Amino acid sequence: MAQQIGLQLPEEELLRLRPGVNRSRKQVSELRELLAQTDEPAGIFVAAKATVR
Amino acid sequence: MAVDDLCYLTIAEAAAGLRRRDFSAMELTDACLDRIDAIDGKLHSFITLTADIARHQARQAKQELASGTDRGPLHGIPVALKDLYMTRGIRTTCHSAVLENWIPEYSATTVTKLREAGAIVLGKLGMHEFAFGGPSTDAPFPAVRNPWNTEHIPGGSSSGSGAALAAGLCYGALGSDTGGSIRTPSSHCGIVGIKPTYGRVSRYGVIPLSWSLDHAGPMARSVEDCAILLQVIAGYDAKDLASANMAVPNFHTGLNDGIKGLRVGVPRSGWFDENLGIDPATERVFNDALDVLKSLGATISEIDGKAFSLARKANQTILVCEAYAYHEKTYQETPMKFGTSVRRRMLEGAFLSAADYITAQRARAVLNEQIRANFSCVDVFAVPGAPRPPEAFATMDPNEQNLRPNFTNPFNLTGLPAISVPSGFTAGNLPTGLQIVAPPFEESTCFRIAYAYEQATEWHKKRPAL
Repeated sequence: MAQQIGLQLPEEELLRLRPGVNRSRKQVSELRELLAQTDEPAGIFVAAKATVR
Repeated sequence: MAVDDLCYLTIAEAAAGLRRRDFSAMELTDACLDRIDAIDGKLHSFITLTADIARHQARQAKQELASGTDRGPLHGIPVALKDLYMTRGIRTTCHSAVLENWIPEYSATTVTKLREAGAIVLGKLGMHEFAFGGPSTDAPFPAVRNPWNTEHIPGGSSSGSGAALAAGLCYGALGSDTGGSIRTPSSHCGIVGIKPTYGRVSRYGVIPLSWSLDHAGPMARSVEDCAILLQVIAGYDAKDLASANMAVPNFHTGLNDGIKGLRVGVPRSGWFDENLGIDPATERVFNDALDVLKSLGATISEIDGKAFSLARKANQTILVCEAYAYHEKTYQETPMKFGTSVRRRMLEGAFLSAADYITAQRARAVLNEQIRANFSCVDVFAVPGAPRPPEAFATMDPNEQNLRPNFTNPFNLTGLPAISVPSGFTAGNLPTGLQIVAPPFEESTCFRIAYAYEQATEWHKKRPAL
């Protein structure tokens, strides 16, 4: 995958990156679970807007 | 007045002294420069010292004040800038080999505002490389050390700002905060720092880390000083597309109004015990701070912390993706110019997909509503400034921060204003901070509560032995 996204990384560096990448992906899967439990529409972030559903 | 005492004046005290002619802007500037010369060799808080420029600016301030031209409370006050604020004609490095000798052609809006207010710029401060990762051991500049114990980290990424203020090397500083980079060093160095509402302070001319999470803000030795600094740098700026066109109130008004009847929410359950949980000594100090707020007339209630805990995951996902997007071209051309710490964190973003990023932004909208909904039953949130005391360099584990609750980055995700004020010390005489978080654009509320707490305690008066 590293090559697909244009990165030339030695195997040793890839091994060092793996825990961080796995953690990041696990975090995203937890966020997907959150979204599955809500009725969230295609949301955007507006700092000044504070609505309560 | 002893030189040490002169260097540890607050901005408000120094401003009053300048107008009484107890001392001049030249004397304040020379006192800072002499102290930097004497002790910064063991702290490394400054990357670039602009002594000649500072002395020129001080001479100008002295003449203006003497002739009756008064630009306000920052006139003649020496300050310093995290080295990601662009300064025309002065090197701006981001603590990185990538920009080691880069000299910008224009200044950040905030820097221009500080200069128009008569502040004197002493120089550029060390930081985590590109405001990311951790203390840099392989950058062209040494890692900043904590004035309370130089074997310990000062927290980051505005590490030089925190250390220089705690050490009495400047009277105010600018930091930036994408996941806690103003509040963490404020907490770890025993000073005050506020991350204003997203959009309150222009980021034009501030090197980005993550566009949708980056905030610029002030750091100082007192709450009042932070209010003085924010007053000058806040306001709409068409050059920053995220800038909020909102009126800027007088942040000084209401500082003394007290907190009787204030409703404070503590999102402890489902957050403070996440993974390794909060350090027990840090939680004890935090609970003591809540008792002080209660004694001042506030009511404390517990609220659900689950959304705050999830917010970290969305914040980190967005941050690594946006950081990699910003640095991608430079990384692919000159990867080894990035230090190990920032390179590894940034590359996490390269391995996430567009769908992952969008998922995090969708989660952000949901969590933003869930967290802000608490303001229907409490006025503010109170949380510790950091989950544990600053680590020692020798035993620092970069992965541990992911195993502790992160008390700062939910408020980058939600854009809410959050201030950290000194709240005591843990074993080893290492400082802690109390964080107060208010609804959007209510920085005045943060200041009022932090000021009431500060005036009821003595923590902000302590100085490190240097």
